[in-house]
Amino acid sequence: MPIIDQGYQHWSGRLTGHRWRWLAITRHGVKIAMRSYFLRYVLLAAWVPALVLVTTLSAWGLLERKSKLARIFIQFMQFMNPGVVADPRRYGGAVWRLAYGYFFHVELFFAMILILIVGPGLISRDLRVNALPLYFSRPLRRIDYFLGKLGVVITFLGMVLIVPAVIAYIFGLLFSVDLTVVRDTFGLLIGAVAYGLLISVSAGMLILALSALGRNSRYVALLWLGLWFVSSVVSSVLTSVHHQQQRYAYHPPPTFPLATAHGPSGLSQPDALSSATHQHGVPTSHNWRALLSYTTNLSRVGAKLLGTNAAWKQISLLEPTASGRHRLLARFGGPWYPWYWSAIVLAGLLGLSLCVLNLSIRTLDRLK
Amino acid sequence: MSGNAASILFALEKVTKTYGAITALDELSVCVPPGAIGLLGPNGSGKTTMIRTLLGLIPANGGSARVLGMDVRRRQLDIRRLIGFVPEDECLFPGVVGVEFVAYAGELVGMPARDAMQRAHEVLDYVGLTEVRYRQVESYSSGMKQRLKLAAAIIHDPKLLILDEPTNGMDPAGRKDMLALAHDLAHHKNMSLLFSSHLLPDVEAVCDHIIVLGAGQLLVQGNIRELKAVHPGSFEVRLKADGTSFSRQLTDLGCAVQRRGDMLLIQIPPGSTPAMLWQTAAAHQQQIRHLRPQRSTLEEVFLNAVERTSCPL
Repeated sequence: MPIIDQGYQHWSGRLTGHRWRWLAITRHGVKIAMRSYFLRYVLLAAWVPALVLVTTLSAWGLLERKSKLARIFIQFMQFMNPGVVADPRRYGGAVWRLAYGYFFHVELFFAMILILIVGPGLISRDLRVNALPLYFSRPLRRIDYFLGKLGVVITFLGMVLIVPAVIAYIFGLLFSVDLTVVRDTFGLLIGAVAYGLLISVSAGMLILALSALGRNSRYVALLWLGLWFVSSVVSSVLTSVHHQQQRYAYHPPPTFPLATAHGPSGLSQPDALSSATHQHGVPTSHNWRALLSYTTNLSRVGAKLLGTNAAWKQISLLEPTASGRHRLLARFGGPWYPWYWSAIVLAGLLGLSLCVLNLSIRTLDRLK
Repeated sequence: MSGNAASILFALEKVTKTYGAITALDELSVCVPPGAIGLLGPNGSGKTTMIRTLLGLIPANGGSARVLGMDVRRRQLDIRRLIGFVPEDECLFPGVVGVEFVAYAGELVGMPARDAMQRAHEVLDYVGLTEVRYRQVESYSSGMKQRLKLAAAIIHDPKLLILDEPTNGMDPAGRKDMLALAHDLAHHKNMSLLFSSHLLPDVEAVCDHIIVLGAGQLLVQGNIRELKAVHPGSFEVRLKADGTSFSRQLTDLGCAVQRRGDMLLIQIPPGSTPAMLWQTAAAHQQQIRHLRPQRSTLEEVFLNAVERTSCPL
């Protein structure tokens, strides 16, 4: 018995409205997830590409200003076409786009890892310990529950996708010559934020749907790994097979020793392949096999939002020969199939996720 | 619906709820005053469905319901702000310690985070979980989990507390504590209570008023004290010796005599007084050891109600 037993006291505080009730679920979910040391390490590691992005944009600003400090960075830019480094203001927009493109390419991997850590238990653990009556007997709607859980995923992905992208943009502006760069790159900022949100919402809804399918979060994690890895592997294998078939169709294996290393058109084999898949300097491959990979679909829409393919095309014009341009675009640009194919696939997955959630979490309207 | 809204805790008007071919609530109409209400009924009688209907968790197929003066269809979120609910099933928010569990429940109702945490400590003190508030809830015993759910249900100081089978699976000491808490909240803390249970002694220990459901319909409703009223002209008598001749004599005098164990239930004719029992006993040299007016037990009230409608138990 406590020394001073106050017993039950009435509470006369004010309750907040319903609009932001989902935020309590998000806050709680983030707090619980952040207790994992592994998650914290992954978050730290995921910030390394962000530092690289900030450094790249800042260095490019110094290069545009012809700062003496830029000399330090030039030695690290040897891999670039000398024409780009020689005219940094002209190619500034393209370099920013490509820097963001690489940043998101790496962060997409970290995003998948973060979802693997945070996502599987979001709903499956609630199902396992029968927490739904506790949620829905309080002033919560199903949409609040879903939004709250989705908010957990968006918070973590936002920390490694959107926040670093915005901070890097601000740093890039601070190191730029003048504010005209805002006019040239503001679309990129919007595209980066939109791409970050696309990844967060799409992957978030998908993991919630998977999480609602079972009570064991380990199985959900396996499903996620399957969706991520297996779809990518299958897509890569099919794409490789397709390329091989194209290569053989265009250039069948010789039945006699070749007298020359050149094909019938007089082009070398890579050039021949390039011209098979590119027309008028623009790659035109409509290879649907890439659609089988979830992350490739995200990347394709991301390439559209960030304008990375356009940036590569601009830089490829520095190549003196058409085959050089083709090679550069084939090697670094792409994927080249229409972006809306991937958008349709992602929209389909989103619709499927909503259906699964709607069917799996039906409040308490069922007979015991 | 009749009656003053302030004097009605909740009211259902011809509420029907079906699950496919099964009718859980069959045009149920009931009007309940504030206080401690016991909800009784055999399995499948519609108790849980009625509770879920009151919370707005399931839509009724027909009829209307009002809780604390608010329409269940239109203001279910407002109603749930004023209700605390302790579900029957074992259910938890995973991965938290006790005090976080209760604070989170408060935040879900709309309490500011700081208030919720402060209040969580207070209600955990009240339900007797002070010492284990920093333990993972998954490690709690069944009794602790029930008290934890009770703390989570009362954190926002609700006007109506709904307890669905709160003593299920509890040991006698834990059950006694839970009943004491429910009684205290209902009778000293100005909180109305809807107490659903199969255990009649539990309901009798906590509640003043009962509702008995059977096959989704209202069988009996009323104040427990009134339902257990004295039967006029009916007495329980226990004799020292065998009362065969005593019974026969009373039957000859126009009494209805029924043997129940070692007790005789005697209904004397209208206009007679209990003195005839003493006189008959003296005439047959019988010694009366026990004589008192007959009262119904809650069990009898319940069983009679269920038998009247042929509800399977």
